[in-house]
Amino acid sequence: MYSSQQDGGAALFSGGGFMPSQATQTPESGFSKNRGVQGVIPLTVKQISEAYHSNDDKSNFVVDGVEASNVRLLGLVMNKAERVTDVTFTLDDGTGRIDVNRWVNETSDTNEMAIIQNGMYVIVNGSLKGFQGKKHVVAFSVRPVVDFNHITLHFIECIHVHLDNTRPKGAGLPQAQTSSMVQTPIRSDVKEYHSSLPNQFSSPTGAKGSETDIYKLVLDVFQEPASLARDHGLHVDEVVQKLGIPINKIRDAIEYHVDVGHIYSTIDDNHFKSACNG
Amino acid sequence: MDTSSPAVFANAELLKMYTGRRVRAVVQVIRNEGGVLVGKSTDGQQLTVKGSPAFPLSHFVEVIGIADGNQSIRAEISTDLGENFDVVAYDGLCQLANGKHRKLFL
Repeated sequence: MYSSQQDGGAALFSGGGFMPSQATQTPESGFSKNRGVQGVIPLTVKQISEAYHSNDDKSNFVVDGVEASNVRLLGLVMNKAERVTDVTFTLDDGTGRIDVNRWVNETSDTNEMAIIQNGMYVIVNGSLKGFQGKKHVVAFSVRPVVDFNHITLHFIECIHVHLDNTRPKGAGLPQAQTSSMVQTPIRSDVKEYHSSLPNQFSSPTGAKGSETDIYKLVLDVFQEPASLARDHGLHVDEVVQKLGIPINKIRDAIEYHVDVGHIYSTIDDNHFKSACNG
Repeated sequence: MDTSSPAVFANAELLKMYTGRRVRAVVQVIRNEGGVLVGKSTDGQQLTVKGSPAFPLSHFVEVIGIADGNQSIRAEISTDLGENFDVVAYDGLCQLANGKHRKLFL
């Protein structure tokens, strides 16, 4: 179900309010910057409130280490207000409230928004934006919930995606990657939410035990889609913060990965980025 | 953004922990007693909902409101979910949302 939705979604969700409408868009125009690396991630408002806003890009949010640019929310409509160019409302999903804004360019948009009433359960697919420290959603679609089992489904999906994205890398794989030449396929359900990375880098074979583990953990951080998406890569301190491992160990691991060519330094000696092209 | 007053997913059992707090629960209507709705919770117990409009019998209703006693909710918002609703799945979600995955919700 997801794969088909996401294929359609790729062309559908490529633009914000001022982009051409989906009807005039060809599938090839999918290089828009807005789209990000992900499909649409189901989230609770609570999760969004805790999303990490990476500073180098104005619309770059990270939830569970994964870039969350396109999100799906489900909740009750409150305070709907219609204006000439857009419709705004507050979405209350029970975990919190967030402002949603839907640009209306065409009659179909107007019709879609006309049936949305206060107190109605809706599914919102949209792009997560930050403006002056305040997060809001620019919706691509706002649709009434017809089958109320979708309420249960949505929140179970939020839990499922959260589990997938926070599961230690490799734990979901059938076998430990001892043989570095074997490309272990990533489980299909993981793939739905990750742009899965080809596992082209071998882990160091010379070092043993915890040292190897740290090397792998550090490389994993650099290979997260959210890290790959950033031009400057990651600051050493961010890696330290993420892993909670002493900085000298992190520096050792980074030095190793730079030496063998897995990562490279960017704007200064503290910023590094994976050489793996996400 | 405002996450200051979340509505906790609750069944009758969990309701006891949230007296005075905002909760959301699904009940199947047993009877309407003039402003008070009596229904069956997703874990099979009887719940009283105050301040709710009447709903058709055996319909499932989601109530968002304040838990004001062991088996009672003061309704703020009630939504008719119709006659077909998977209570087992919803009850499972109540438990996940209060247990292991609480931080996604509260």
